[in-house]
Amino acid sequence: MVHLTNEALSELLDGGPVAGAEKHLAECPVCRGELEVLRELREELRELPALEAPPKIWDAVAERLPAGQRERRAKLGWPKLVALQAVAMAAVFVIGLGLGRWTEPEQPAPMDAPVPGLVAQQPTQEPQLPPTSLTDALAEVQRLGAQYDVALRNLEQLAAERGAQTPSLAAERLASLNALVEASRTALATDPANPTLNAYLFAALEERDAVIRQMGNSQGSQNRWR
Amino acid sequence: MVDVTETILVRRACEGELEAMQQLYERHASRVYTVVRRLAGDDDLAQDLAQDAWANAFQKIRAFRGDAAFGTWVHRIAVNTALTRLRQVARRRDLEQSFDGSSTLGNPDRYPASGAADRLMVQRALDKLPDGYRAVLWLHDVEGFTHEEIGDRLGIAVGTSKSQLSKARARLRSLVTEKSEEVVDHGSSN
Repeated sequence: MVHLTNEALSELLDGGPVAGAEKHLAECPVCRGELEVLRELREELRELPALEAPPKIWDAVAERLPAGQRERRAKLGWPKLVALQAVAMAAVFVIGLGLGRWTEPEQPAPMDAPVPGLVAQQPTQEPQLPPTSLTDALAEVQRLGAQYDVALRNLEQLAAERGAQTPSLAAERLASLNALVEASRTALATDPANPTLNAYLFAALEERDAVIRQMGNSQGSQNRWR
Repeated sequence: MVDVTETILVRRACEGELEAMQQLYERHASRVYTVVRRLAGDDDLAQDLAQDAWANAFQKIRAFRGDAAFGTWVHRIAVNTALTRLRQVARRRDLEQSFDGSSTLGNPDRYPASGAADRLMVQRALDKLPDGYRAVLWLHDVEGFTHEEIGDRLGIAVGTSKSQLSKARARLRSLVTEKSEEVVDHGSSN
């Protein structure tokens, strides 16, 4: 019996038409088997495992990049700045919230000014887009960053005066960051490619992860976490 | 879903930040190395190709428009980089190396096989293929290129691509089964 050629088997493997092949395959177990072997080999090829790149490749790549790029290792990129600003925003909000609960009702909280922007809302409320533009929001973030430091100092001073420990703000921060995440996602639903909103979301997610990790680490500890 | 982290990394890399580039590299190093290693057939050439691919990618990262995922984009660059090099090599060696003509029809009972040892066998057999065979086989059967696309990339005719593929499959089969004692004349359409 004359068997199918390699070309015919290859064509059949790809689903192409080969004159008389169907009849031949029905009668020839050798060619049927051969076709099956080729099919299995193809599957084996597709399932070959991914390979790990040797570590020295990156070093060589980095050396080939223009000198200007190699020197920019330590530069603080703007997403990092936004991340810090997002933390500041969240912290200002929760400090005001937390202090309001902790202090006597008649005593004004050191940070009782309304906080505009993405986190200017109760954590339990539905997130809403801020009325301000993104440029305004970023400017507000920078202003709030400065207030954050003031608020922290006030809080510590108040705690010292009362002889009490500063309460843990982790839960409040987490709630505030959740609100920030939801607000960012809501905004991104209308403008998915907006880089500033993406940066906000990224920063908030990253910070939220850090807070969750720190909460986990501090469980059972007497040390306060802030 | 948009990978926000990667979007930001790409943006930072566009601004020339080396750390962002390194993070992008670490995310996709395996994918890039795997494809160039499969196409190259040896470790040294694969490392050269991977370096070239990544250097190319970062040099033109500002051209990355985000139409596809960054991983897909850099994978494409890696394939193109490898094929360009293979074509250069082919000019010196002859891409269309012909199959040595030995029969490939073995005893089907010796295959299939499964498991890590068999994958290693397939991997080694792939490395032993002539460059042209290996490139066509990998591009078609794994990367999903059409013969027209392969012809464009390798500078060969569609018919040549088909012929190379059938020979590559037969050769791979022969290498994996290490030639069966039970050889049946398979013939050739040539």
